[in-house]
Amino acid sequence: MDLNGNAAIRVRNLHKAYGGHDAVHGVSFDVAPGEVFGFLGPNGAGKTTTIEILEGYRARTAGDVRVLGVDPGKPTRRWRERIGLVLQECELDPNLTIRETVGLFASFYPSPLRVDETIELSGLGDQADTRVGALSGGQKRRVDVALGIVGDPDLIFLDEPTTGFDPSARRGAWAMIDGLRRLGKTIFLTTHYMDEAQHLADRIAILRAGELVAVGSVDEIGAGLQADAVVRFRLPGGVTADDVGAVVARPVDLADDIVTIRCPDPQPVLYRLTTWAEQGAHRLDGLEVLRPTLEDMFLALTTARAEHG
Amino acid sequence: MADWRLVVVQARAQLTSITRNRRAVVISLVIPVVILVMFNSIFGGGNDTVDLAGARITASAYFAGAMLAYALIGIAFMQVAITLVSQRETGQLKRYHGTPVPAWTFIVATVLRVAAMAASVTAILLLIARLAYGVDVSAEALAEIVVYVALGTATLCSAGIAATTVVPDVESASAALPLVAVLLSFISSIFVPVDQLPAWLADVGRIFPLYHVAVGVQTALGASGDTSLRGGDVAVLVAWALGAVIIAARGFRWEPRAAAA
Repeated sequence: MDLNGNAAIRVRNLHKAYGGHDAVHGVSFDVAPGEVFGFLGPNGAGKTTTIEILEGYRARTAGDVRVLGVDPGKPTRRWRERIGLVLQECELDPNLTIRETVGLFASFYPSPLRVDETIELSGLGDQADTRVGALSGGQKRRVDVALGIVGDPDLIFLDEPTTGFDPSARRGAWAMIDGLRRLGKTIFLTTHYMDEAQHLADRIAILRAGELVAVGSVDEIGAGLQADAVVRFRLPGGVTADDVGAVVARPVDLADDIVTIRCPDPQPVLYRLTTWAEQGAHRLDGLEVLRPTLEDMFLALTTARAEHG
Repeated sequence: MADWRLVVVQARAQLTSITRNRRAVVISLVIPVVILVMFNSIFGGGNDTVDLAGARITASAYFAGAMLAYALIGIAFMQVAITLVSQRETGQLKRYHGTPVPAWTFIVATVLRVAAMAASVTAILLLIARLAYGVDVSAEALAEIVVYVALGTATLCSAGIAATTVVPDVESASAALPLVAVLLSFISSIFVPVDQLPAWLADVGRIFPLYHVAVGVQTALGASGDTSLRGGDVAVLVAWALGAVIIAARGFRWEPRAAAA
């Protein structure tokens, strides 16, 4: 994808060295306006360094970076007014209420969202007058998110926004992020939850040891990896794994009576398999087809290379 | 000017926060009032006088000035440093720095918050001294006290901000800064009148700003109006303030020490 001047974020050949060590080594990508961009990688891959460079907190060693057309190495007030931050580790004044905290941050921006609306949107409507110090970890995280959006920014950095959330709170956060997407906001998202990235992100970049190993939609990354689908079922009585292998004309794994067949395209495999089973009156108990998940791709991309060093 | 509105908004939020913080209220108000009452109950009474830097003042005036200076080092130095280090190490300052709010408005709001607290505590302590212990506060004395309190607050507050550049974390801040405050209080005519100190210790005390705040207020209160501002006190305070501002401007950090790699 090449958006040239229109990209919300444009990164070319970004390098960041700490001492002699390159934490980020030649990273390039674009984020389109209105896009939800998932930025993934194992701990220590350089995610935080990259996001902090984009947020204007950290200087880069080399490379060209534009965020909303501005060099984040020279952050200006106007630029900061258009950017919302949800930082990874950040405490808030425990003695102020949610309403006071959100109201304070709203006053920093020229045209903020309404404070009550923002609190409502973050799912904290019932606690608006509770002091931040009395909130649970997940509730505090929602205040962080409220502070990130109250300035009505064009671009929002969400650095692990749902860490510490219970499953229903995460679904709530996802709904909110979907809502921000519908408002046309560009969202730069990091997360350790692959289902979260798969659900929310239009495109994904996967970072490993300071370099990008994949950029694209989940489908594009899957196609690039030639990740196989998996067909699984319980081995019927009276047949062997080799019998099944002969039917589908592919290698077959057998473990604990469960047959596993890896194939790029499951349709012909299923056709042969089910035809054979119907004609021979075999039961394919627990038959399922598993599409490769983002988690599979992530692990394939980030662990396979680790073995090479 | 719209940015001054930001100063006021932040100062108000800081005041709201700190008045809800019990430890802060105890340090800045309760302890000085309690010590003032105890000193007067134990040592005061009648016409006891104290020889102080060439003047003879009533014990009650000495105690009132002492506790005013003691409250100021708590509010303007100790609390400013501890609060800022805590805000820095928990990422609050970093979060602030990522908003469009200009950095100077945050610093000025902090100073304004401290000034408001210093003014309130000054009024409360002088009122108690006047009503309960008969300390005479003339208009001239009040004018002098305002100068010493304003200058002392500015100096101690700058020193508190400067101290954050060498204090690595909250634990060190809560250990080191009260120790500094207590040590200075012993040699700054707060717990012991300066004339009763060994000469060398009094000389050490005179190096630091707190001595000049305490003795300045004490003589203003006790010497019944025939003193004037002493240039030496003012000069030492201004020198400390300038030095602290330079250190703070050079070394102030917005991010936690353990910044992620």
